[in-house]
Amino acid sequence: MEVEKFSYDNRIVRNFAYAVFIWGIVGMLVGLIAALQLVFPQLNFLEYFTFGRLRPLHTNAVIFAFVGNGIFMGVYYSLQRLCKARMWSDTLSKIHFWGWQLIIVLAAVTLLLGITTSKEYAELEWPIDIMITLVWVIFGVNMFGTILVRRERHLYVAIWFYIATWITVAMLHIVNSMELPVTLFKSYSVYAGVQDALVQWWYGHNAVAFFLTTPYLGLMYYFLPKAANRPIYSYRLSIIHFWALIFIYIWAGPHHLLYTALPDWAQSLGTVFSIMLIAPSWGGMINGLLTLRGAWDKVRDDVVLKFFVVAVTAYGMATFEGPMLSIKTVNAVSHYTDWTIAHVHIGALGWNGFLTFGVLFWLIPQMYRTTLYSRKLANIHFWLGTLGIVFYAVPLYWAGITQWSMLRQFTPEGVLKYPNFLETVTAILPMYLMRAVGGAIYLTGACIGIYNLVRTAMQGSFMANEEAEAPALSKEYHAHSNEHWHRWIERRPVQMLVVSFVLVGIGGVIEFLPTFLIKSNIPTIASVKPYTPLELEGRDIYIREGCYVCHSQMIRPFRSETERYGEYSKAGEFVYDHPFQWGSKRTGPDIAREGGKYPDSWHYNHMDDPRSMSPGSIMPPYPHILDHDLNISNTAAKIRAMQKLGVPYPQGYDAKANADLETQAKQIQASLKNDGINCSEKKEIIALIAYLQRLGKDIKGENAPVTANK
Amino acid sequence: MFSFIKKYAESMNGIEIYPKIALVLFGVVFIGMVWFALKADKDYIHELEQLPIDNK
Repeated sequence: MEVEKFSYDNRIVRNFAYAVFIWGIVGMLVGLIAALQLVFPQLNFLEYFTFGRLRPLHTNAVIFAFVGNGIFMGVYYSLQRLCKARMWSDTLSKIHFWGWQLIIVLAAVTLLLGITTSKEYAELEWPIDIMITLVWVIFGVNMFGTILVRRERHLYVAIWFYIATWITVAMLHIVNSMELPVTLFKSYSVYAGVQDALVQWWYGHNAVAFFLTTPYLGLMYYFLPKAANRPIYSYRLSIIHFWALIFIYIWAGPHHLLYTALPDWAQSLGTVFSIMLIAPSWGGMINGLLTLRGAWDKVRDDVVLKFFVVAVTAYGMATFEGPMLSIKTVNAVSHYTDWTIAHVHIGALGWNGFLTFGVLFWLIPQMYRTTLYSRKLANIHFWLGTLGIVFYAVPLYWAGITQWSMLRQFTPEGVLKYPNFLETVTAILPMYLMRAVGGAIYLTGACIGIYNLVRTAMQGSFMANEEAEAPALSKEYHAHSNEHWHRWIERRPVQMLVVSFVLVGIGGVIEFLPTFLIKSNIPTIASVKPYTPLELEGRDIYIREGCYVCHSQMIRPFRSETERYGEYSKAGEFVYDHPFQWGSKRTGPDIAREGGKYPDSWHYNHMDDPRSMSPGSIMPPYPHILDHDLNISNTAAKIRAMQKLGVPYPQGYDAKANADLETQAKQIQASLKNDGINCSEKKEIIALIAYLQRLGKDIKGENAPVTANK
Repeated sequence: MFSFIKKYAESMNGIEIYPKIALVLFGVVFIGMVWFALKADKDYIHELEQLPIDNK
């Protein structure tokens, strides 16, 4: 067999590694600032850096910029070597790299400007969504091209994880990002209410599954054997848990919607499949940890293995906690509390963070042909990181349970013990401070780690192209005697792609079709009407400022909630909500039935400075909403877009919309004047007040829209 | 948006056969895969698990 000479591209790996350094620091720093803003609300300065805008910047930065570049770094290194082939196209590698970084920069700018769809982990507006699709396709073409020209016939398990990741992320992104553009910077989700919630959390949970988990499992399957110099514990187990994982994970989305207005059968499916998910997830953990059986002494001396062991252990913890949180009784406690945040960060800091560091500590010395600059610093990083995870998560567990127990407590007379939500927030502020300290410790460790790696690179000499040789693939393949179908698919990447796609598609189809097609899943409520133009504009301001980050709009059918917030939320109330605004966290109270609770002047003062109405509140101030004029140049276009999406505004209503908007605005201005507030009817605050005063009133049949809605 | 799918899905008689087929298909494929994984040739497995370590 003729031996072919070629070289592996290390430059692209190094570039992605540097991106990991930079965006890791940025993303974690934004997270730290956001955490501190909860304790020191005065840190919410300028309209661009309020908590509601910083939080999505943090999540996007750490998921897509930090972990994203980490994925590409690991995939580009391991895929070439497992295929014994250079990346199919160096040009596509470069376009992928720069395209991805451009998307990140655009994300940072647009999110701070308030250009957002408000759909979690999919906040970027439609032009960037299109860019993401293009860059992802380029990545896929390059990856598949490499696989097709490989010199190693068998696809190692890591490659299956990469293939499944690619096709599933493509499916999730495209389906969830279906939005109708209104302007260059604004679009509306084609889905509404319950359906949007289901699509959003099918996407959101599987962003965790196929962006944060499967590609990193692939990296684990390559770099752990590399670092330990031993094969994975059980290859058979890796085959079984791969297929089980990608099939089961997709169904788990509804566990984000337990006790909400999502139909019961969908909630139950989410719970059951989430619990089943323990098995394949722990298959991965077992495979990782037991690879080191009999070689645990290696871990003591090797910082790479230290990071890997904690990473895989954190993975096991998070994938046990997740299913537990998917049980309805547990979820009744945890949902909307900080317990969820703690859970997320065990996975994010422990699994994703530590695996990334472990890979970097192995990869940088390797590519720069040197040894690590300082083992001492690396160990300090390791301990700071581990301590950081503990100091982050434990206070938040405490906060979650404390807040839940206060919110549900009744006095012997049968009324709420803590009727004011704010009391529960004040009680957990010390825990918020501790968690910020934990995050700061973790970030310090990360900075030390990056310093160490930069010094390592500086003392070494970079090998841009690593020479290699391997025999070309023989045209004939002589099958082993008991060839089975799985061996067949291991040699056929395209078939693996198609079968993976079918498997991940099943869960979505089965959960979506009945929700979308069977009318009884979302019972119609006759008194529910579309938003008026003024309310629609107000809603867009709510979305822009990220109010959904702290306020939910979904009252669960618990007595402690109905006593506090009003009648529990029904599916039919949200049919015109493009996109839905149910929220996933209550840093502030639920506002599903805010309409009519307070006078307009209360809202005016509260938005200007929350502490003037609620002493001790940690909500950011929004004086700019009182100052800025409402932009009504797009109102007509927004009405037309909503009509296209099926909201029953009368024909030709877009021409009348602004006239009705001004009439309603003047009414609110008059009511403010009655309470001694002089405000022009053209300000944004008028629209926001209109929206807030509409929330939850429809089912009482008291809505007083100015227009003649159908 | 979904009116196209809705129109056909709502009028199909016996559409419930499709999720049933999906379940059976998945079950067969999954059980077959587990059977293979447990019965696979030892040398073949050894060859695969060495892939990340052997190459350079």
